[in-house]
Amino acid sequence: MSSRRSRSRQSGSSRITDEQISDLVSKLQDLLPEARLRGNDRVPSSRVLQETCSYIRSLHREVDDLSERLSELLATSDMSTAQAAVIRSLLM
Amino acid sequence: MRGPTAKAFKQGFLRSFLLSLKSCRTGDMSLQERKRAVRSSADAAMATARGGGAIWPRALLASSSSSPSSSSWPGLLLNAAKVKTTRCKSTARRCCRPKRSSSEMIARRLVRKRTKILRGMVPGGELLDSVSLLREAMDYVVHLRAQVAVLRRVSNAMHHMAATSYLTGLDLSRLAQGLLHRVCN
Repeated sequence: MSSRRSRSRQSGSSRITDEQISDLVSKLQDLLPEARLRGNDRVPSSRVLQETCSYIRSLHREVDDLSERLSELLATSDMSTAQAAVIRSLLM
Repeated sequence: MRGPTAKAFKQGFLRSFLLSLKSCRTGDMSLQERKRAVRSSADAAMATARGGGAIWPRALLASSSSSPSSSSWPGLLLNAAKVKTTRCKSTARRCCRPKRSSSEMIARRLVRKRTKILRGMVPGGELLDSVSLLREAMDYVVHLRAQVAVLRRVSNAMHHMAATSYLTGLDLSRLAQGLLHRVCN
């Protein structure tokens, strides 16, 4: 199928794609928190990908925990216009 | 994300998020229902505030509108990715491939495997080629971080408000009126 077709083309175009990919991988590496990678220039792509997945997973977990916290704070009443206005003026 | 873009995103996110929360009748819900409502409000607000410059916001909004309460969107996307990759694996084995060193093959296999996992974590990832996926992942991570930051501040503000009104017996609506006056005048 299409994957077979792209594989036969791969030997010619793969070098360009590999460079693009390694450039993007290093940019991705710069985004990850320092604790996850030593900040070396020789971290393998597979490691960067792994840490990116792990980082996204932990960010999702944080959003989940914060959603839980917020839902507990909203337990007594709905978010009122007044409450929303207070929060916006505090944060913005 | 650079300064002004980050600020604009966070403000847009906050506005959409609070608007969404106000429209939910969270007071009538169970804790689990409320948590889901808050979570989907946050995700919808993040996608809306990001706008059209990436694929993931559209994918995120599409999956949150189609799946009302039960299955979470990562599960849906992961299942789609799984089907696709099984097909690719069987085709690859039948292909005659050029000779490569085994360590290179192992490295490539690991990169391929982890790219598949990443596809499942980024909304809309299963539709993208590797290069686009990496770009989307970067954009998504940056905005996820901003989402976490704003949610944390909202949570702290609400907690502070609740604590203050409890300790001082201050009427929250009166506090709000006062602040509204100051902000608007």
